[in-house]
Amino acid sequence: MNKEQILENLATAIVDGDDDMALESARAALDAQLDPLDAVDQGLSKGMDIIGEQFQSGEVFLPELLMAASAFKAAMEILKPEIELQKKEIAKQGTVLIGTVKGDLHSIGKNIVGTVLETKGFDVVDIGIDNGALDIIQEAKKVQADVIALSCLMTTTMPAQKEVIETLEEMNLRDKYFVIVGGGPVTPEWANEIGADGYGESAIQAAELVKELMDNK
Amino acid sequence: MPARFAELLTDEQVVRVHEASLEILENVGMLVRNEEARARFAKHGCLVDTQTQIVKFPRAIVEHFRQAIPPTFTFHGRDPQYDRTIPGDGPLTTTSSSAPDVLDPQTGNVRRARSDDIARIAYLVNELPGYDLFSISVTADDAPPGQYSLSRFYPALKHCLKPVRGSAPDMDEVDNILKLGALIAGSEAAFWERPFITFQYCALISPLTMDVESTEKLMRLTERGIPSYGVVAPNAGVSAPFTLTGTLALANAEFLAQAALEQMVRAGKPIIYEPLPTVADMRTGAYAPGAIETGIILMGCAQMARFYNVPSGGFSGLSNAKTNDAQSGFETGMSTAVTVLAGADLLNMGGLLDALMVFDFAKAVIDNEIALMLKQTGRGLQFSEENLALDVIAETGPGGMFLDKLHTIQRMRATALLPEIADRAPRNQWEAEGMPDSQTQAMRRVREILTRDNPAVFSPDVDARIRAEFEDLVAGDAVALDITTD
Repeated sequence: MNKEQILENLATAIVDGDDDMALESARAALDAQLDPLDAVDQGLSKGMDIIGEQFQSGEVFLPELLMAASAFKAAMEILKPEIELQKKEIAKQGTVLIGTVKGDLHSIGKNIVGTVLETKGFDVVDIGIDNGALDIIQEAKKVQADVIALSCLMTTTMPAQKEVIETLEEMNLRDKYFVIVGGGPVTPEWANEIGADGYGESAIQAAELVKELMDNK
Repeated sequence: MPARFAELLTDEQVVRVHEASLEILENVGMLVRNEEARARFAKHGCLVDTQTQIVKFPRAIVEHFRQAIPPTFTFHGRDPQYDRTIPGDGPLTTTSSSAPDVLDPQTGNVRRARSDDIARIAYLVNELPGYDLFSISVTADDAPPGQYSLSRFYPALKHCLKPVRGSAPDMDEVDNILKLGALIAGSEAAFWERPFITFQYCALISPLTMDVESTEKLMRLTERGIPSYGVVAPNAGVSAPFTLTGTLALANAEFLAQAALEQMVRAGKPIIYEPLPTVADMRTGAYAPGAIETGIILMGCAQMARFYNVPSGGFSGLSNAKTNDAQSGFETGMSTAVTVLAGADLLNMGGLLDALMVFDFAKAVIDNEIALMLKQTGRGLQFSEENLALDVIAETGPGGMFLDKLHTIQRMRATALLPEIADRAPRNQWEAEGMPDSQTQAMRRVREILTRDNPAVFSPDVDARIRAEFEDLVAGDAVALDITTD
């Protein structure tokens, strides 16, 4: 198999959401001595771009997008150790700390956003559900996050998103991080009102938003 | 009342769904994050894994506790004439709850909802005959710290004599709201004689998870005998399997687990089997409560509730529409129609647009009319020998006319629903009136109500006592609409 064929297969494995094919193709890439960074950029990421566009246009459905992300992660399990072994670095896109705010235990939407962000090359630190403002900020410091992503599903927990931003302000840390908000009841108006740096309607839009914020940093 | 409700499942299938739910609870179990709840489950014979916090339910335990659920549930209003007990008084209809936004009745723009909106909505609900209770439709953005729910209950109770239902974030707020109830009733004893406040909680997070704080509330409200019950809200495809039957089995399992805990805390606690089952729109994952599948799953839930001999309800008639258009009408109309035919006793249906995000006054008026249509449907053909009207058919005879018969005159105001929003005028008259659509008609009704004084508001004495008790309390007035605006 030539290099082009392997890259093509990596992309196809992502588009098809085929974990086995993704693993196989990633191994084939290493066997053929491909640069693992090329395998990511020109294979896996290309596949994610294709499926991302197809999702945006309504051609593929959300479960298919998640299958693609899962295949991406599977291939990365093979490629990442080799990248580290070769002392190469994946171009650092930034670190996103993501979690659900205090009082809210709904995790599914947050998980989807985290997964899609990972496929876009971001380091994602998922701190799970029911996080108080101070805990979130402490974690953000610890992992040197660039972006804090706050999720909530209930109208009754929305004020907790505001609280995180207020606490950052009180601690004079607001300009250290981009803060983005999302979740069922969250709207662009709410994001604006509480002084967040942005809002994404879907996981794909959230990933685009983070990319845009980081590009303009 | 219909002789038979519309049933999608055979009797054998109902039993199988019940069995499947027991299997889920016995084999998969529930993740119970509240320690006290885990201890209670353990005490009653459930298998608790302290590491994983998974609780598994031997079927005999579920069977035992579900049989303790009473067959009726009563809502009290500030005025006893609005007391309602289901199933007997059903189908009941109410507004849907806790939207963060409101469509401003003067500007037509979406904005955050406030306590004065709640006052206006409460007044509207008080005046609209289709609503049996007021489930507090929006949150209050102007709530002072520590009065998140008090800022909702106070304007609601101040302007509405019907039963009021809402939620509270913690027991401190619950205590304040009960204190408010006692001040309105005149004394604690008077309040507890007819407690006109009902609480709702969401202790269950699908799939199969009980959280910490809401479960805490479930136990505290239950042990104190405060009228309250929980809602389970599985979303098929996301937090439930993407089959309607599977979602029904899961919702039913979640209901049974929640009911078991309630009955363990207080045997004989009245509750309602009232889920909010939805599907996701798989294209994007969008939350789709307006989907017809909500109604279809609720038909199954109504059947399960009957099997358990428990009053049933559901969040039927929600809509994903952004404005009062055909979508908002057909989504609300179709789901509620199938749910009511299936025998649900309580429909949480009124006033909200955009998947529970926005309250719209005009939508509430339109839904009032849909609610009246549903009640009419619930009454059915009203079969009786007398209603066969054989005498008047014979008296009128072939080629005759019924219009001028005493029989007709005696029934002309009652047999058929006389709608206020649905337009039945001839076209030329409708054109002469400016071709009003249902939105325009509904807003006229909104203005007609909200520009008058509300006689339901409590006396200045009572209000003074309340305001003395709670510092910084919101005004809670239904500020009259400016009639010059159109």
